[in-house]
Amino acid sequence: MNAADIRTPRRVMGLYDKPMWESVDQKAMKLQRCTRCGSFQYPPGPGCPACLCMELEWVPVSGRATILSWVVFHRQYLPAYPAPYNSIAVRLEEGPIMISNLEGEKPSGSWIGERVRLVYVTMPDGVVLPRFELDR
Amino acid sequence: MTSAAAPKQAGAGRHPNPRIRRAAAVVGIGHTDWVGDWKRTRAGEKPTDSLGYGMGAFVNALADSGIERSMIDGLIVGPTTAYERLAELLGINPRWGDQADAVLSVLQAVQAIESGFADVVALVYGNDQRSVGTQYGGPDAMGGNAFLSYVYHAPWGLTSQGALYALTLQAYKHAHGFTERELGEVAVAQRAWSSMNPNAIMRERITVDDYMASRYVCEPLHLFDYCLINDGGVALIIAEASIAKRIGKKPPVYIEAAGRSDLNHGATSLEPRLTDFYLPAQQAVAQQVFDLAGMGPKDMDVFQVYDSFSVHVPLALEGYGYCAVGEAGKFLRESGVGPGGKLPTNTSGGHLSETYMQGWAHQIECVRQVRGECGERQVENCRNVHYSSDVAGKAVSIVYSR
Ligand SMILES: [Zn+2]
Repeated sequence: MNAADIRTPRRVMGLYDKPMWESVDQKAMKLQRCTRCGSFQYPPGPGCPACLCMELEWVPVSGRATILSWVVFHRQYLPAYPAPYNSIAVRLEEGPIMISNLEGEKPSGSWIGERVRLVYVTMPDGVVLPRFELDR
Repeated sequence: MTSAAAPKQAGAGRHPNPRIRRAAAVVGIGHTDWVGDWKRTRAGEKPTDSLGYGMGAFVNALADSGIERSMIDGLIVGPTTAYERLAELLGINPRWGDQADAVLSVLQAVQAIESGFADVVALVYGNDQRSVGTQYGGPDAMGGNAFLSYVYHAPWGLTSQGALYALTLQAYKHAHGFTERELGEVAVAQRAWSSMNPNAIMRERITVDDYMASRYVCEPLHLFDYCLINDGGVALIIAEASIAKRIGKKPPVYIEAAGRSDLNHGATSLEPRLTDFYLPAQQAVAQQVFDLAGMGPKDMDVFQVYDSFSVHVPLALEGYGYCAVGEAGKFLRESGVGPGGKLPTNTSGGHLSETYMQGWAHQIECVRQVRGECGERQVENCRNVHYSSDVAGKAVSIVYSR
């Protein structure tokens, strides 16, 4: 199989996910911010759960985040992800939690609390994914 | 900037109307041949389909109850079978019907009975998940239509249910100094229980060293932390309390109390699992059910926990107040949840070692322990059994009593 034939696992592409993925394609990820209370949304949606305001605006994220948890898969479930590979949960500086992967160098002990920054990785099939690397 | 504060658990301090207390009782239980069907499906055979497993379990529950099928006027089927087709096969035209998962079907039966919509309710579940190869991971994972978190993170390779609980465990280990050896106590204890259960699929005893030597699937979870995937069915018959006393062949097992509390804030990005460890929901439910029952954790003789993964057990021990928050590791090591331990937990072997019936088999183990029908694994003088389910942060709890 050609590398380009290995498909990135399908992105959920609802009405409100589309603008976010378009911003990722442009390597300037945006999330929705509530125009009333200022809280950020992830995943994107029709309104703000904190204050029920329906007016949200798309704002670029800083890309700064902190690792909340991590796992290492020792079994391959998906063609695009041969084992071993990691997944991480990060707390974005803007507030929401996001699931992603840690690229490059890995911490030696616990990963929790490590500061990371957003990077954009182009998968073999052309899909651009927001991932993170250590911010040291 | 931080995210908006999580909402508190709604209705704090309230519990269901005391009228539901002992309003209904289990009069019959049944299940299919999990061990035999495990062997047959592993050999490539197809013993029956989900409907057939449900039907077989219902036949056994009916026989256990000793009542006539014609007395059943309410029916709940599990999420894995179509309501109408299963009802058609069971030959029941009820005056009330519904579809729900294991723990909610018990709550709904109690509600229907208490409000007079039905007097005798059959609860029927059948699942051919092993023989049809149901996917619990991947971009088309089962449940993705109901829980966005099951499919949303697929682009980053995070698709399996196990991975969600591995993330929880990693954060929990970090927060409380919990160790993998301590988690291993859960799988070891449940295997010790299942070694005494002829209905259990996995009966070979293991040690913590065996656990530590087993491979990681999604680190930090080991193979022994995962539930089985097998075919089978479970059925219960629940009747209004006075009717139960009159019609049942065996002493009724009462539903003493029940309650629910959800954590939905931040659910898709796993916030309730990673930062709360389900704690606020479980604490809210603990207050509901223990207040309603007029009992506390000390009064519970057996604890049954929905264990798709072993990590549910330490979270539930803390959430329901069986030990202090952050001390589940110590409790597992020093007090114990296995045979001879302070709190007998998942006495059938649970999802890890007996059978993966998505919480349904736990209900009949609760009934069997209260009835005193558990043979070698029977907990002496068992009066009250507490069941807890916390799937995806929906904490639901039932107390079964004599
Ligand atoms: Zn708002």
